Amino acid sequence: MAQPPVDVRVTRDNDGIVRVAAGGAGPDFTLAVLDVAGAVLSWSVIEEPGPPTAEIHDVRRAQQWLWAVYGERVAAAAHACATGEQPAGARVPVDPTALAADAARLGFGHWAARWWPASHLDGIPALQPDLLGLELAALTHQCQQLFDGTADDFDDQPDDCAAELIEDHWAALDPLIQWWHAASTGPAHQVERVLRLIDDAADGAGLDGPELRRLRSLPDRSSPAATTPLNPGALFARSDGYALAAGELLVTGGRLIARGAGTNDWRRYPPGLVDASESAVSWTARALGARRQFEVEVVAHSAAPTTGAPLTAEVRVNDGPRKRVALARRDDMWTGRTDLDLPPGETRPRVELGVLLPGFDPGPGPETGAERDAIRALVRRRLTAAAQPDANDSAPHGSSSAPFLAEIAAAATDEDY
Amino acid sequence: MPLPSQPTDARRPRAMVIDGSWRALGPGLEPLSGPGGAPLTRTVKLILLPLVVRPALHPELAADFLAPERAAQLDALIRESGERLLATAQWFTLLKRTRRALGVVAGNPQDLYFQRCFELAAEHGAPAAGAGALARAVVEDVADADGGRTVDALKRHLADDAQRSLIERELALAWEGRRPARAVDTTAVVVRAAQVLEACGGPDGPRNPPEFGVMVEAGDGDLLGRALWADTAGVWGRSDVPVHLGLTERQLPPRPQVGRGASTATLPAPLDRTLFERLFVVLQSSTRREELPTIPELVRREVGRSCAPLGLYDESLRVAVVLGGRLAVGLDPLGTGESAPGRTSAHRAVNNRWRREASVLRARRMTVSPRPDPDGGVLDALAQDLRTPWAAYMRRLWVRLHGRDVRDAPLADAEAAWAVLDGVARSVMMDHRARVRSALRALSTPTAPPTAVPEAAESRSA
Repeated sequence: MAQPPVDVRVTRDNDGIVRVAAGGAGPDFTLAVLDVAGAVLSWSVIEEPGPPTAEIHDVRRAQQWLWAVYGERVAAAAHACATGEQPAGARVPVDPTALAADAARLGFGHWAARWWPASHLDGIPALQPDLLGLELAALTHQCQQLFDGTADDFDDQPDDCAAELIEDHWAALDPLIQWWHAASTGPAHQVERVLRLIDDAADGAGLDGPELRRLRSLPDRSSPAATTPLNPGALFARSDGYALAAGELLVTGGRLIARGAGTNDWRRYPPGLVDASESAVSWTARALGARRQFEVEVVAHSAAPTTGAPLTAEVRVNDGPRKRVALARRDDMWTGRTDLDLPPGETRPRVELGVLLPGFDPGPGPETGAERDAIRALVRRRLTAAAQPDANDSAPHGSSSAPFLAEIAAAATDEDY
Repeated sequence: MPLPSQPTDARRPRAMVIDGSWRALGPGLEPLSGPGGAPLTRTVKLILLPLVVRPALHPELAADFLAPERAAQLDALIRESGERLLATAQWFTLLKRTRRALGVVAGNPQDLYFQRCFELAAEHGAPAAGAGALARAVVEDVADADGGRTVDALKRHLADDAQRSLIERELALAWEGRRPARAVDTTAVVVRAAQVLEACGGPDGPRNPPEFGVMVEAGDGDLLGRALWADTAGVWGRSDVPVHLGLTERQLPPRPQVGRGASTATLPAPLDRTLFERLFVVLQSSTRREELPTIPELVRREVGRSCAPLGLYDESLRVAVVLGGRLAVGLDPLGTGESAPGRTSAHRAVNNRWRREASVLRARRMTVSPRPDPDGGVLDALAQDLRTPWAAYMRRLWVRLHGRDVRDAPLADAEAAWAVLDGVARSVMMDHRARVRSALRALSTPTAPPTAVPEAAESRSA
């Protein structure tokens, strides 16, 4: 991967934090982040791929990986900056490394696990969480140089979690082994690599179980396996029992006054509850005699639980007070209604409508629709690439742009959408 | 940590030198290497640095950057150990296989066996005839290393009626002998604590202020502990926080009971715990239980300890409670920016870390609402914990200090104390993240009962 030479700026603030600045910042949901030894790494997922920005709070611990992520010169600059030998703000050239590429891919995978904009309305399939989780376990092991925890010290790296990821996503191990048996083309190498890394990580961490024993006894693949056509999407498919019934109205009575779309701000609720489309949140105002009724419809995420999550709409009409409307799950929708205090002649109310999870919601933020669109465009490009039969070979190994197995599997189930 | 000043021209990162030397040793080291061929982080931390490079013997190799001749010296040390490292790798593979065959699952094999493998390699070279028996002996030895220091043994010891009534009598006597400090002035104590904290959290790492020694000499921790027994008001300079900072859920800590059982999910506040519960946490969480006193000795000492000020014997550890309390009342995890009296550089360091953690949590879509929300359920309760951060902080801190007290590991100076205080702050953050994750997971799979993230999390570092 011949990348143009890149500079980073190495600075130190009054609190002793050393920053290695590469890209710009952006809204929360455009940032991939990784907790590593002594620092937090971050990348913008919608900018051109490049080295991470590092916020280093313990330069000594970070010296373990600084050279291997940015090259020797940046490691030396961070050291000089921390000891005050070098004036702040030095620009230093970066040497692209394999670890930097693996780390970017790991960061992107964690991002995808939280922000992937799955949507029936937009035709963006969800990623199978267990398959993604296992590939993240493999990548975490691949990136072991970034972490420095042992049983006796440093419990501050929640991303050093290969063993936990394997245990949490155990369910995809057998299907992944099946995929290995069936695949001799396409992502065969990637499946093989992920499985071998999981085997090695599990072995080093002392994990055991029947699936891992099956994995351990996989033969070396020296000759091509018999090719059995196999749809990876079906291997990891879940029974969502999802049938979209859009357009069905809550009540048929009353006179329609107005309808419109709300804001679908992903930051205000956790993943897996709401369809990520801009058009997933909508409202209808009706007149029922003298009453003015306001109905909210939010299209549910295909894997959303039917109970348990007290999703709520927040509505504000004509700059009045914000009012909450509790939403209940009905088929593929979260719905709720409330009475509104509208003047009798009002036919074009100014409605601000959002959806949120109480207790989770950080509050309404700045308008970020353009960034959400950029994310959808990115994800569509990736799914198109993942649908190519040689998807894994077209992008360099370890590059964050190479599709994850979960993307390949999702692209293969795409026809349902 | 303070950074030794050194010019960086022609100097190379030590980690890079180690990596190059390691790869030059050639094949056969895969069991100790990561997927890319670099040594595993644990290989560096547990074998190469302490046993091969030995910066204690070679202080010139303790730096993060090495001049060419030092780099060559380090390279030579690793190359000289090449044979032994190859044998270490083979022993490790054998030990892992043996462990699996014996059905041993507890602990991380790298943490448990790396140093043993290096010793085996020194003594026996590569595994040869008889290695299987040797490997079995090592795996069993490591698994039994607790020498009977188990929760079960504690249970048996405290099940004996005669034993229990003896302990009851001793507890009653020790509790009667306390000297609560009524109407004391703790102002000077808290001022000294602030001075130590001001010297700790600076950008150039901890300096060692003399006030720490003064606090230990003066018995500042002892005074706080006795003030806590008297529920002295206004100690922390805020009217909304009690002197005990949540170390007890009552107004005054009760006389410790003996206890018969414990569960990590339902442990009460530290000073409300029974003898059993206090020792249960120690036995559950220790990585090197063989270094603990025997069970009868543990119990005997805990009787006196539980009736000592702050439930701790050692004064340097009690002083750490004073420092931790002074730190904890000024923490601002939610970044509300509300001013608290007299924030020090230690407060800035920890609050900055909370700020970074909050931005990571936003980027990972794991937020809690900063403002109270009556509809917020479990997540709102987690946010509420962040609004009164001292309770979680002091709980964590006490467990860690208690663990040190049991092991007779006092704090030598302010730098050592700061390492504990700072580590506790990190652990509280990680606890919070684990709880948010668990709460969100419970939301998306409402049929599964929410996984508690209880005190067990303390085990990793207590």
